[in-house]
Amino acid sequence: MKQFHPVTKVKGFATKQSVRLSEKTMAKTAIANNFLTDLADVLLFITQFVRETFSRNSEVKEFFRQCFQIGYKSLPLVSITGTIMGLVLTIQSRPVLIKFGAVTMLPGMVAVSLIREMGPVITALICAGKIGSGMGAELGSMKVTEQIDAMEVSSTNPMKFLVVTRVWAAIIMVPILILYADAFGILGSWAGANIKGDVSFVLFFSQAFGSVRFMDLLPAVTKSFFFGAVIGFVGCYKGYNAGRGTESVGIAANSAVVLASLLVIIVDMIAVQITDMLI
Amino acid sequence: MNTAHTRPLDHAMHPADGSAPVIEITKLRKSFGKQEVLKNVSLKLMNGENLVVLGKSGSGKSVLIKCIVGLLHSDEGTINVFEQNVNSLDRKELGELRQKIGFLFQSGALYDSMTVKQNLEFPLRRIKKDLSEKEIEEKINVVLENVGLADALNKMPSQLSGGMRKRISLARTIVVDPMIMLYDEPTTGLDPITSDEISMLINEVQKKYKTSSVIITHDIKCVRNTADRIIMLADGEVYLEGTLKDFENSTDPFIKSFFH
Amino acid sequence: MNKAQRNRPVLVGLFVLIGLIFLIGGILMVGNLHETFKKKITVVSLFDDVSGLQTGNNVWFSGVKIGVVSNLHFYGKSQVEVSMKVETKAQQYIRKDAKVKISTDGLIGNKILIIYGGTSRHQEIQEGDTLEVEKTFSSDDMINTLQENNKNLLAITTDFKAISKKLAAGEGTVGKLLNDNSVYDNINAATASLQNASVKAQQLAGSLALFSSGLNKKGTLANALITDTVVFNSVKASVLQLQKIADTAALFVTNLKDAGCNPNSAIGVLLHDKEAGAHLKETIKNLESSSKKLDEDLEAAQHNFLLRGFFKKKAQAAKDSLPEK
Repeated sequence: MKQFHPVTKVKGFATKQSVRLSEKTMAKTAIANNFLTDLADVLLFITQFVRETFSRNSEVKEFFRQCFQIGYKSLPLVSITGTIMGLVLTIQSRPVLIKFGAVTMLPGMVAVSLIREMGPVITALICAGKIGSGMGAELGSMKVTEQIDAMEVSSTNPMKFLVVTRVWAAIIMVPILILYADAFGILGSWAGANIKGDVSFVLFFSQAFGSVRFMDLLPAVTKSFFFGAVIGFVGCYKGYNAGRGTESVGIAANSAVVLASLLVIIVDMIAVQITDMLI
Repeated sequence: MNTAHTRPLDHAMHPADGSAPVIEITKLRKSFGKQEVLKNVSLKLMNGENLVVLGKSGSGKSVLIKCIVGLLHSDEGTINVFEQNVNSLDRKELGELRQKIGFLFQSGALYDSMTVKQNLEFPLRRIKKDLSEKEIEEKINVVLENVGLADALNKMPSQLSGGMRKRISLARTIVVDPMIMLYDEPTTGLDPITSDEISMLINEVQKKYKTSSVIITHDIKCVRNTADRIIMLADGEVYLEGTLKDFENSTDPFIKSFFH
Repeated sequence: MNKAQRNRPVLVGLFVLIGLIFLIGGILMVGNLHETFKKKITVVSLFDDVSGLQTGNNVWFSGVKIGVVSNLHFYGKSQVEVSMKVETKAQQYIRKDAKVKISTDGLIGNKILIIYGGTSRHQEIQEGDTLEVEKTFSSDDMINTLQENNKNLLAITTDFKAISKKLAAGEGTVGKLLNDNSVYDNINAATASLQNASVKAQQLAGSLALFSSGLNKKGTLANALITDTVVFNSVKASVLQLQKIADTAALFVTNLKDAGCNPNSAIGVLLHDKEAGAHLKETIKNLESSSKKLDEDLEAAQHNFLLRGFFKKKAQAAKDSLPEK
């Protein structure tokens, strides 16, 4: 008997019908079950996030602490990555452009690819690694050691104190980190162009920004907010919903990084599609 | 031999002041998926007494007190704290009720990212909002002295030993002057000397702050040191309720295995 | 609170501030947004073919970016009206007779619109002006070169006419000139090319005469293509000059032939007058290269799309008339 009521699946009650199901179908049902309940959990999490965002008594101090942790503390990593990104991109594309006799287009090309794609995506992936895993591990260990419960019983809404502050800090800080990465990337590109050639700083910058349009910058900045949101949400969700025991902290951190990176790529694809449609 | 264990002993056990019980749980049922942790638990906590809930690991003791503060929602039955039904309260009302309850977590649950001082300030600033900076400082110093750790003010939790953490955690719980204290395995993972100290501290707190306490443990030494009354949980039900003497004199092999 | 924690909001603030400076600086630089605040005038041009020009492409004047292409739309049957926004600071340098062409920025770069030319006799451009587009680059250029060439040739052949007259007068003796093979060969080659050139010149002259008469007929294809009176005038002038060349060349060849018949008198001049000899040599060389160039021009003229059909039509008539000369 393969027919069963969908509601049965969702709620996970073992009805008489599902008892008769073969083991394989049962496993499938369980997977579908888990997926649907997970999805419901995520939606609930986001709804709660939105509700707590707009509720009174905001945790401004904790928000600034998180901005410091997420933004300022990630700056060295992001700037090193950005510089190397620009440097490598320049050194790699230089020979090809020389072949076409278009080496003067190098700054423009690097600037456009950095600002449109490389900067946001690579920085977001780096942040997914650093911030996402940090949130997953921190909230996961707080969950495991009952700190979240402790917060709840001391009349503090942990959703608000821990999640809302972190997610908003990520939404605001990640785009700024991406701007830093872009700036350092162009600086690195200039350095790269000067390893083999000789371009003055002013010429390089005017060439670089000569090719970048406002419509290159706008979609990039817009999508970076979504990258921040994805990283914040995934990190907090995974940490907040960590299981029991110390190993679940590791699992939470790990799955936060994996899922956040994946979602960053997916969001990027959607953003590119939308940008393509609009322009 | 099992005939008497569910019989209520209200009249024999409760202080004769006639006041209503602080916590009253009736027919509590709680399950996680298919696993039924609490089947049918009823208990009362009277004003000023130390009630020890005893049981094996996994017998649902922690679940029971988490239901009391509303961290977990019971499936059936009612939990009345100060004659308010915990399950029917909204978030705000629950928050107000929780201000009267102190909860000492099994692991201490000190906030890792904060110093001892900040840990103590955290509930204080949120629950007692009308305190001045000076009053806060004073309160923190007093409570730290009470647990004997006045010098740990600016340490991080990671710099503290297990026993010190428990004490700081206890200090954080009592700093907001709760009326009910819930101890979740206060002596677990501590050496015998430290657990004796913690037990003594629990008694001191009860005297000094005039709290009513529920102590969850499977440590008999702690039971002996603190208990006014004991409830034994087994298989999600109340197995036996009585005084320390009742338990020590019990001939039930299950109880004997605990006490000897 | 320790020192690091007190500094935290300051550091966060600084961090955000620098990030925002990057953003705002970037926006101002990249979007050329600062240019939107500059005052601009709009001028238009009509193109037959914009070869991939797009809105937003740069407009250059004397190699400086002075604006962007703001709009492209079809006009008339198949023409494209290109509107461009030009900064007012460049307005005073661009005159109403300036022209517009489409070029490429670098080898594989973007298309750019180049404004060039213009004379101070005309006034500076105003809002809404239409700048002329150079339509027939190749034929115009060719005719210009041809005219220049014609002038040179005319000068040379005039010189030669004088010399050859002296030769024909029969002063001096044969002497060295006969021994000097290179001079003799040169003259021979020059004569041959000149003959060839004169034939071609005559052919072209005849063709152009017919062509220009065809231009006057309204409604023909040629008339429709070249409505510009300037071009028509150049063609007419060319034709006249070519006819002159043909005449002079013919005379020269006849003189030379005469000189060849009477070697004693002809080469005497060269022996007698060393300066004249050197002059002759130089002239012969010039004539040679010049006639070659004319030859090339004429070849090009035949392949030019405007004149090609015309040459084909008249090919037979030309052949018939040649042997008679």
